Amino acid sequence: MRIEINGKFLAVPASLSGITLLDFIRDFVGLKGTKFGCGMGLCGACTVHIDGVATRSCQVRIDDVGAKAITTIEGLAATASAGPLHPVQKAWVEESVPQCGYCQPGQIMTAAAFLSRNPDPSNNEIRQEMSGNLCRCGTYERIRKAVARVAREGENNAHD
Amino acid sequence: MPTIDAKSISRRHFLKKTGWSAIGVTVVSAVALPLGGCVIPALPTRNDPVLEDGLAWVQALPDGRIRFFCPRMEMGQGATLGLCQIVAEELNVEQSQIDCVLPDTDQVPPFKMTVGSEGISKSFEPVSFGAALLREKLRKMAATREGLSEELVKDGQGGFVLPSGTELGYGLLASSETVVLSTSDYQASGVEVPRYAFERKTNFRAIGQSWKHHDLHAIVTGQAVYSRDVSVPDTLYGRVLHPPALGAQLLGIEDRAAAAMPGVTLVVVDKNSGFVGIVAETPFVLSEAMDALEVQWEVPEDLNQAKIEGDLDVEKFRARNQFEHTLASEGDIDAGKSTAQYQTVTRYDTSFAAHAAMEPRSGTAWVREDKVELWCGGQDPFFVQQRVAKALGRDADEVIVHSHRMGGGFGGRVICQATEEAALLSAAVGRPVRVQWDRETEFQNNYFQPAFSHHIDAGVTDDGQISHWQHDFVSAPILTGMVPQPIGWVLDQVTADGGTARGSLPQYQMMNRNIRYSDIRTAIPIGAWRGLGSAPNVFAIESMMDELAAGVGRDPLTFRLQNLPPASDRLATVLRRVGEIAEWGRSVPSGVGRGIACAVYKNETAVAIIAEVLLDREARHLQITKIWCAQDSGLVINPDQVENLVMGNIVWGCSMALKERITFEAGAVEQNNFHAYEILRHTEAPEMEVVLVDPGDAAPAPVGESALAPVAPAIANAIFAASGRRVRSLPVDLDSVFSDMAG
Repeated sequence: MRIEINGKFLAVPASLSGITLLDFIRDFVGLKGTKFGCGMGLCGACTVHIDGVATRSCQVRIDDVGAKAITTIEGLAATASAGPLHPVQKAWVEESVPQCGYCQPGQIMTAAAFLSRNPDPSNNEIRQEMSGNLCRCGTYERIRKAVARVAREGENNAHD
Repeated sequence: MPTIDAKSISRRHFLKKTGWSAIGVTVVSAVALPLGGCVIPALPTRNDPVLEDGLAWVQALPDGRIRFFCPRMEMGQGATLGLCQIVAEELNVEQSQIDCVLPDTDQVPPFKMTVGSEGISKSFEPVSFGAALLREKLRKMAATREGLSEELVKDGQGGFVLPSGTELGYGLLASSETVVLSTSDYQASGVEVPRYAFERKTNFRAIGQSWKHHDLHAIVTGQAVYSRDVSVPDTLYGRVLHPPALGAQLLGIEDRAAAAMPGVTLVVVDKNSGFVGIVAETPFVLSEAMDALEVQWEVPEDLNQAKIEGDLDVEKFRARNQFEHTLASEGDIDAGKSTAQYQTVTRYDTSFAAHAAMEPRSGTAWVREDKVELWCGGQDPFFVQQRVAKALGRDADEVIVHSHRMGGGFGGRVICQATEEAALLSAAVGRPVRVQWDRETEFQNNYFQPAFSHHIDAGVTDDGQISHWQHDFVSAPILTGMVPQPIGWVLDQVTADGGTARGSLPQYQMMNRNIRYSDIRTAIPIGAWRGLGSAPNVFAIESMMDELAAGVGRDPLTFRLQNLPPASDRLATVLRRVGEIAEWGRSVPSGVGRGIACAVYKNETAVAIIAEVLLDREARHLQITKIWCAQDSGLVINPDQVENLVMGNIVWGCSMALKERITFEAGAVEQNNFHAYEILRHTEAPEMEVVLVDPGDAAPAPVGESALAPVAPAIANAIFAASGRRVRSLPVDLDSVFSDMAG
């Protein structure tokens, strides 16, 4: 079995059959940006993209990934055209969103997938969509602002 | 005898005792665990920093950069950033010229644990002193090198400017060796060294700027290394079996299947101490091996919520008229009562609560003959060093703690259990071992915020003054909560726990007041949780103030201002300010209510909060729509960071008010993940408006947990304004708020 992570194909040893995608990414591949938070799909810290869809990697068995492409926080910037940061990461920097930062890769992955689906969300849509990602430091207001900023700047760019 | 299957504990599945005997358990790998020894426990690192400490924290590197060994740990509060700005202020450098290092324990002398929102307020002086002293030492070196008097060597950017106009960077002075400070530099310059952090006032170059955190880019790209992300070559994976309940006794264990698994390096069973651990080559094998253990426990069935709440019930103590500590006793309560136009007696309760930081704890240890290395994210690395040294029977000097950014602290990482477990397992296998707790382990095995119960009897005179204030409360010791029991009991005889009492002295003028409390040790492990006693105590005080104002038909904001003494002018200022920004007094639609509350945190930071709630009776839904906050925390080093922290406190306060409650049954924590212990989510978070009030010429005051305390009472008071229902117990019981309400 091989799976694609951030554009690279990796062989999955048979002995790892049955483990979660999160454990595979962190402990086998060694990409540590995707975080363990709850192990039950309740907090969103482990969010990655599977074919562009934000997914809780702690709830996906490695065997079930198949031919779908995985993107982690480390590979997010490469999915956008410009610069070392994805527009969502850039907005997170501009709004100085993080405090402890532990949940933020998951927040960013959720926001990026959401914005690609809905480039101009309302405040209410942002709150609803981001609600699956917990932040104990309480950065929700800045997360909302950062997502709104991406939408706003995306619109400006479209009009340029 | 009740037994319990550890694997089924989350389903609370009680099993009958299985057939095999608990006696004569096979110890697959008999390893002598160096558990314990000396009876005096290691203690948290408690000494406040003094000026001289600053000497060890700043160095000039040969490349002209400044290395700053930051004496505060980073858990999102940003103290590392604020202190960098102070270094920059003194040394005239840009942010990019500072290497901010979370020091290893062998790089600097011990510094105080990172607690109490005092990262900036208490380190401000010694950090600025060390940096200023380094600047003047470099100036002296420049003067010597150029054959000039020191007065002619003027400050430049990242160095000095000579009379000729030539710029001389620090790098040229440091040449090939790092410039460090010594006691003789201190003795030569004394404390008279000019300090720009104090002298520049409003002409700061770094202080007061909203610098972005030096870790920000790493965080958003997933490159920030938390202790859970540390990679040490050749690491094995370990886990220690945790009891399914507090006070559970290991009766028996069958570990042969686990030990026989390929990839399992070691199974440790020490029946006497109850220590069971497994080390494996991969985390995947480790999980399977842990699952293969068959374990029997005896759990204390009588340790349940009713018993614990009974132990901390204020009415029981009032019935005996016996409280351990009297915090204030002035005037005559009975005489005061006789002057009351309005009097009310009320009970308030808050719940046990968990930190629920997003990063479950984790640690890596490598125990070798000559040294012990630990990779840990903790609030007190020197305490971790002491505890591990004690557990392994080593000298503290042999133990080096490498510190990492924490995925949230909130008081919950003063001890680092996973790191200690990793050390014990590494000692047994002689290789690096990483231990990672899962969320369930985190909930069951950490320490908690204790429940509080309050009784307040208070009243108001004809002219709107507080006639009397009898406040009794009971909770558990917080600051000394982790001290082992026999020592704790002795300690309680001689000292009151200031953590439990934090925030319990009202700011208001009261002629007749009596405030008593007892801090009672229960079987529940207790330790610091954001703000310690301040949030529970201020909830009681500020709820009662609202009841008094309502009782005499006075506006709650005006009533507070009327009862504040002149010495509380900073609190009065933030109260007025929050009233202005929220347009207090403006009429609101039906179903909407606004509440106000205020407090001074640690006698330093004045905070006032207005909360607005919307009660949707048909949907039986409560939404906190907006929270306004005015805070005076003195000199603000980084306004953007402080605003972020204030908003974090507001979210925490909303979460505490609406959601958080830990309960116990048969010694077990009943909430083992976020479905059962819910914390505030994005949809539930209010809009926020934060104003930082600058008092001018005031030192930096605590920020990290200061705004928390008034949030919950402001929400409770807003619910009253919207519904006429008083919330006297947290978290809010929505059923009682909406009961009998017309839809």
